Amino acid sequence: MTLRVFWSVLSTEARKRMSYRVDFWLTAVVQFFAQLGVSYFIVAAVFAAAGGATVGGYARREMLLYYVAVVLIGKIVRSSEMEHPIAMDIYEGGLSRYLLYPAPYAAFKYAQQLGALMPSLVQLALFGAWVPFVLGVPEGMSIASVAMCAGAVAVASLLQFLLIRPIQAVAFWADNVWSLMVAYRFGGAMLGGVLLPLALFPEWAQRVCGMLPFRFLFAFPVETLLGRVTPAQWGVGLLTALGWCGVAAAAGHIVWRRGDLQYTGVGQ
Amino acid sequence: MRYLRLYACFLRFSFSRAMEFRLDFWFRIGMDGLWYGVNLAFFWVLYRHTARLGEWTYDQAIVFIAGMFVVDAVHMTVCSNNMWWLPIAINKGDLDYYLVRPVSSLFFLSLREFAANSFVNLLMAGGILAWALARYPEPLGAATMACYVALLFLGTFTFYVMHMLFLIPAFWMHTSGGLREIFFSLEHYSSRPHRMFTGWVRKALLTVLPFALYASVPAQALFEGLTPTLLLHVAAVNAVAFAAMIALWKAGLRSYASASS
Repeated sequence: MTLRVFWSVLSTEARKRMSYRVDFWLTAVVQFFAQLGVSYFIVAAVFAAAGGATVGGYARREMLLYYVAVVLIGKIVRSSEMEHPIAMDIYEGGLSRYLLYPAPYAAFKYAQQLGALMPSLVQLALFGAWVPFVLGVPEGMSIASVAMCAGAVAVASLLQFLLIRPIQAVAFWADNVWSLMVAYRFGGAMLGGVLLPLALFPEWAQRVCGMLPFRFLFAFPVETLLGRVTPAQWGVGLLTALGWCGVAAAAGHIVWRRGDLQYTGVGQ
Repeated sequence: MRYLRLYACFLRFSFSRAMEFRLDFWFRIGMDGLWYGVNLAFFWVLYRHTARLGEWTYDQAIVFIAGMFVVDAVHMTVCSNNMWWLPIAINKGDLDYYLVRPVSSLFFLSLREFAANSFVNLLMAGGILAWALARYPEPLGAATMACYVALLFLGTFTFYVMHMLFLIPAFWMHTSGGLREIFFSLEHYSSRPHRMFTGWVRKALLTVLPFALYASVPAQALFEGLTPTLLLHVAAVNAVAFAAMIALWKAGLRSYASASS
């Protein structure tokens, strides 16, 4: 797939997403504030009960900033995850038309995923704009940490696509993979640091989470943004995430090839 | 009696359909099992840093979340599949098929499909609740336990009514989900103890958006005893919410124009 075609698919999807109606934006606003509201009260309750200035190495303001960042960055990384477009193509037979396109299916879908996150980028700008005025700027945050975070988010987005591809490819054999995607979301939220910062986990659990790919989807970009990751740690983290991309891509390729052999083209 | 016979037919068809798709059957069990594990782990990690959360100890929080699992599992088993299809049926005009039946359309559309796979999760959730109650250090009397179980079932009813209130707007919104996504977002408040919230948010969770009534208020009644005021409050909120749901449903049916809705 040429870069021109990739960009064309990406921008078409982005235009499609931005044309959504009022209910889309209403849902986005409620989702953001509902998620943040629950997190705010958890932080308030934990700090009120614990009595200390820090919990798990986070001051109260830092932990609130962590939750704001993880909600916004999580939306970008997840993009259109729950629409499971690959599974739908397989199940409904829509995959057939892509077989005629002069471009690889995976690259096509990845371009669509990137295009689909356009509303999330707008939300990041809109919902994130008030943060410095209300919560202030984190002490460790700098232009360098923002740039490093952008790199980490780009790799996280790719890793997310590669991780969900084999899960969605289960649609070659199963009637409905919605439950698998929801299970992946639950597991990723806990082990990736969306529900709780990983620093709150016991030492052994932090080591386990450090070895899994989920940390690189959410906690790693957020910790990088907040300036809690040194350039050396960022480099190692990025390489590890890219290693996971390789593993996920290989797994996806194997599952896809096996499934492709029994694809009938008329829906499963 | 007629409705019970009809529901027995729903159960028979649902079980035979579930057995046709064996892989999907297990996926959903695994999904809910993981949700239980994630929530138990969430409270376990949180209580490593504090002795109390919203006035509740770890043991109390575990009883609360186990109660929430049961409420969710009952909803997933009895109503959830039907609720998934309801806005789609409204949007595509498939509601016609149900409106001409000689039974209540609300009954038929809410209970037609029984999720046999989630029934396994209901057993699992019941087991977790039994475990949570057995490890609870304080003595719990039989009468208190009976009240708790009754309030949990009332919480399931509240869950159903709230879910419907967010889906029925599909009659006017011309979308295939109504306000489903908003409901799912707000639902996060139901899986955290309501005492954790303060001010108008807590008041809202006990009245206009009564997510605290699912499992948190029943747990409060279990630990502190059921007072007449609390019972009256739960009954009043459920009655008002149910009346609002019926009124909204009737208004929706009046504006329903088959496939053009």
